[in-house]
Amino acid sequence: MIPLALVAMGEVLAERAGVVNIGLEGILLISAFTGTVGAFSFHNAWVGMLIGTLTGLLIGYIHGVISLYLKGDQIISGVAINLFAMGFVAFGIIVVWGVHGAFNLPLEDSLKGWTVLLPPATAGGDQRFVGKISVLLPFTFLMAGFIWWVLEKTAFGLRVKAVGENPEAADVAGIRVERVRLIAVLIGAALGGLAGAYLSVDWNGMITKDISAGRGFIALATVVFSKLNPLLTLLGAFVFGLFDNVGLWLSTNAWANRIGLNYFIRMLPYVVTLLVVAGVIGRARFPKAIGQPYRRE
Amino acid sequence: MSASMSAPKTRRLGNVLGLLRPLFDVLTAIVVGLAVGALLMWWFGYDPWKAYAALFRGAFGDKWGRADTLFAAAPLVLTGLTFAIGVRAGLFNIGAQGQMLMGALAAVAVGILPLPPVVHQTVTLGAAMLAGALWGLPAAYLKATRGVHEVISTIMLNWVARWLALYLAVRLLSDPNRAEKTVSVLASTRFSVVIPGSDLTHVVWISVLFALFIYWVLWHTPAGYGLRCTGLNQDASRYAGINPGKSVNLAFILGGMAAGLAGASQIVGRPPLYGMYTDLSTLANLGFDGIAVALLGRNHPIGAIFGALFFGALNTGTHMMQYQALVPLEMVRVVQGVIVLAVAVPELSKIFRVWSLFKGHQTVKK
Amino acid sequence: MSTPTQGNVPLLEARAIDKVYPDGTVALEGVDFTVLTGEVHGLLGENGAGKTTLTKILSGLLAQTSGQVFWRGQAANFKTPLDALRQGIGMVHQHFALVNPFTALENIALGQEGGNGLSSVDHGKIEQRLRRVMVEGGLDAPLDVPVELLPVGVQQRIEILKLLYRDVKLLILDEPTAVLTPQEADDLFVALRKFKDTGKTIVFITHKLREVLELTDKITVLRRGKQEGSVVTSSVDSKQLATLMVGHEVIPGVERSQTQVGKVVLSVKDLEVKNDLNDMAVRKLSFEVRQGEIFGIAGVEGNGQTELGEAISGLRAWEGGRVQLDGRPEEQLDPQSIYAQGLAHIPEDRRRVGMVLEFSVMENSILGLQSSPRFRGAFGRLDWNKVRKNAAELIEQFDVKAQGLNTVVSSLSGGNQQKLVVGRELGKNPKFILAAQPTRGLDIGATQYIRDLLMALRGEGIAILLISAELDEIFQLADRVGVIYEGQFMGVYPTEALNRERIGLLMGGMESEVGQTV
Repeated sequence: MIPLALVAMGEVLAERAGVVNIGLEGILLISAFTGTVGAFSFHNAWVGMLIGTLTGLLIGYIHGVISLYLKGDQIISGVAINLFAMGFVAFGIIVVWGVHGAFNLPLEDSLKGWTVLLPPATAGGDQRFVGKISVLLPFTFLMAGFIWWVLEKTAFGLRVKAVGENPEAADVAGIRVERVRLIAVLIGAALGGLAGAYLSVDWNGMITKDISAGRGFIALATVVFSKLNPLLTLLGAFVFGLFDNVGLWLSTNAWANRIGLNYFIRMLPYVVTLLVVAGVIGRARFPKAIGQPYRRE
Repeated sequence: MSASMSAPKTRRLGNVLGLLRPLFDVLTAIVVGLAVGALLMWWFGYDPWKAYAALFRGAFGDKWGRADTLFAAAPLVLTGLTFAIGVRAGLFNIGAQGQMLMGALAAVAVGILPLPPVVHQTVTLGAAMLAGALWGLPAAYLKATRGVHEVISTIMLNWVARWLALYLAVRLLSDPNRAEKTVSVLASTRFSVVIPGSDLTHVVWISVLFALFIYWVLWHTPAGYGLRCTGLNQDASRYAGINPGKSVNLAFILGGMAAGLAGASQIVGRPPLYGMYTDLSTLANLGFDGIAVALLGRNHPIGAIFGALFFGALNTGTHMMQYQALVPLEMVRVVQGVIVLAVAVPELSKIFRVWSLFKGHQTVKK
Repeated sequence: MSTPTQGNVPLLEARAIDKVYPDGTVALEGVDFTVLTGEVHGLLGENGAGKTTLTKILSGLLAQTSGQVFWRGQAANFKTPLDALRQGIGMVHQHFALVNPFTALENIALGQEGGNGLSSVDHGKIEQRLRRVMVEGGLDAPLDVPVELLPVGVQQRIEILKLLYRDVKLLILDEPTAVLTPQEADDLFVALRKFKDTGKTIVFITHKLREVLELTDKITVLRRGKQEGSVVTSSVDSKQLATLMVGHEVIPGVERSQTQVGKVVLSVKDLEVKNDLNDMAVRKLSFEVRQGEIFGIAGVEGNGQTELGEAISGLRAWEGGRVQLDGRPEEQLDPQSIYAQGLAHIPEDRRRVGMVLEFSVMENSILGLQSSPRFRGAFGRLDWNKVRKNAAELIEQFDVKAQGLNTVVSSLSGGNQQKLVVGRELGKNPKFILAAQPTRGLDIGATQYIRDLLMALRGEGIAILLISAELDEIFQLADRVGVIYEGQFMGVYPTEALNRERIGLLMGGMESEVGQTV
């Protein structure tokens, strides 16, 4: 749930500013990789997390420059990042460690050893129902609250919303549209990078070439599901993660297995998102200027 | 030569060059992609020249290489068309992956029915096209009635398709003897191999024919005219009496048909399996790669053919690159990614000032 | 009535302002404009006069090509609207710059939040100050409702409050009553008078004579980019203003052949059409156009003629009334069937509506005709050979200068583009032509060509509805004129019965003594 929530809330900020980042999947993947490299090389998991975050920041910057300043298409830029990531990570694993497809971090380099043991088993979206919570979990909650506070209570948040809704009006009010958008994208991408590093350095303690497993796209769905409200992304991430795990668990259950229930359960989050987007379940209101580069007349 | 005589000539030259501009953008993007790839390879201690040479040899060097290139390109033409047609109508249909899966499933299902040979192939392909088109329709409907952005709806549909396909492949269509694959389709619906020893079957013609068909529809029918018009200028389209909703629907239908065909091609045109693995591995990434192909082909059906050939070559030659230059397979994805990123930048060649080299004359501007 | 101004200190002075656009259009030429502190100054003119351009320069949105602007006696060079705002000049545009889901408070606070980005927005403090401004200015508005839910008049008040909050000294309003009900307009005037009492200076752009006479101390009239005069309001009457506004050239005697006016082709009865803001733009309009006549609709833009044209040609739905073409009622929103009934439409905006700029000449030649059996081939395909033949004849006949049929239309000049559109529309062999601003933006040669063409068509018995902001064109071409103002006809007259002064009065909303409707 953690990586999903982090990515989703970051993207909420970016989309409120009017920028769509389809390349989240790629950011997750690449940051997971660079985070692992960092943790391994410096024998320090925290360094790995930092490097992962910075990677996200860098990729976000590239996406931002292409979409905002070069006025390229945001969707295509995102797709390109994903393509690049798939190849780069698989290639990187081979090149750095000489193994194919996956690499395990030594335990002391990962954050797995940092998890706190709690008496009652608290999943937090973890696939193995073992009682542990990552350090990042409270951080995730705090971050959601922080982003909400920024959006609703600060001047910057006001500008973000203005820029996403009516960039002309913001321009007239003296706000630098591209700059605000870029900052929002950078924050979102940095959170994505952090989430990616978490995936490898913390949760799994290893890097595989497809560790992101479509979470970047699920995050896009989560963003819609949460109606662009950062607090609700926590709920959305939880729901999506829940369905995923229920499905996984069901696949081991004989009865459910016979009728193939787990497939349909895992399908459910996407169907629900479709319904949300269609306005059947609540109405998600997207900023009016989303996805369009701003050109001053 | 008097000024008045040379002016029309330079204008004509300007026009021809104007048409060539998109080609320059694409070529610049390819060069940038290959350059970045070379840089990475060199950084990690590989020999880029050896690698690219091996790549080229692997893709085009011998007849098996060429066959494999074509084999790889065939489905990409189709998934590329899905995206390209959408763009022509002014929308982003990235649902090729899901529509393709549905087409593949339909092909398997129909492929095991007892029917006479040619009829069987026709019916199989038709069913696949239908399945693909139907899978695209929810997105079209949601866009028309609720204004849902098709990027989101098609991505969601892709995921639903994935789980649905897994279910159907594992539960209903799996081979009783070998659980890792579905049943194979009957011989009456299979396409025969073109070059013995390769995987290339005659289904590749279907790709080309369909691309030509799409070209014909878009540029030689009133409906296609309406579709292109809608994509370029909604106001003028309404003025012309064109119904934008109909154009959008047409785009989704044609795109779904293309993707469905792509899925079918991987069933009836893929020896020796003639089915699919229940983990859907033979169909992985074809949808997404189609987007890259379309972009490279500038969203034109003929361009898609060339784009698919290029990507097919990349995907094929990479094995030789690994074998001879020891460069990991995945490097090719890196190159592809950078190329697409470069293509995303509008008027790329202008940025690199390549264009200005050819624009020496002053075009007469009114 | 206006009150005397205080002092003779010019607050804002513009000297010899020129504005020439890159494509050569001259928007302003040698314009002088002086505003004294504390006065309400009206800027009067018809379409294309340059009023909006001038105020955009004064408020920092545009830069002048030459000439100097002085603010409070010192040379000023505003690079951005924010620049001008900081100096004390603010403008309320016709299209509001409001963020819809924001409340009034948030809209006003935007850009003024104080402190750096991460500081919280102190709603309390902002509201306090805002309420003070509201009391001072005598304007009221709900502060915590999303502005999109508020009526247009209130939205405008919020736009004004935005400027007052920022302590502007000079307030520029661009056609503010265009979007207001009469009641809201009165409220606005009350507020403006109150501003004046508190020492603010106001520039009021309008084309409505009654308003400018009622509200202002001084009036500057612009016409075709030049300043025609700057007068004290109390010393002029509406006739003089009208003449300044539209000029007093003698209309050249137009030789118009007497045509046989035939039966009614277009019949419009009590038509009601809403505009994009959901206001009624056309209010129960009725008129007829017969074979062999040109019916001109004159008026300053924004008085409903655009919506009227769109409704008749099937591009906009109408709320009430009836439109009949060639005896049969028109289907709403169905251009194809309307074309089949014999209508041809030369649209106002040829670049956005009349053509697809990325298409070639040949492809544009069948825009609207793409499904016609004339161009069908086997298998239901589009037969480009037939299209090519038709297009070649078209460009030959209508003198469209293009390098070839495959030339992309965006590279054609405006005149050639319009000739292509006109030729295409006439190729439909229409019974009725709707020509909306047909010569806008064209050079003299193309303009004359099209006007001659319309006259010739009139001679052939085609019914023509000409909507034009160009008075010369109306006088040259129309047999009868309806002057549209605020969605209704001020009157319908035979062209001979009008002169510039009269038509100026009508366009400005004043009744003329010649009140004969034809």
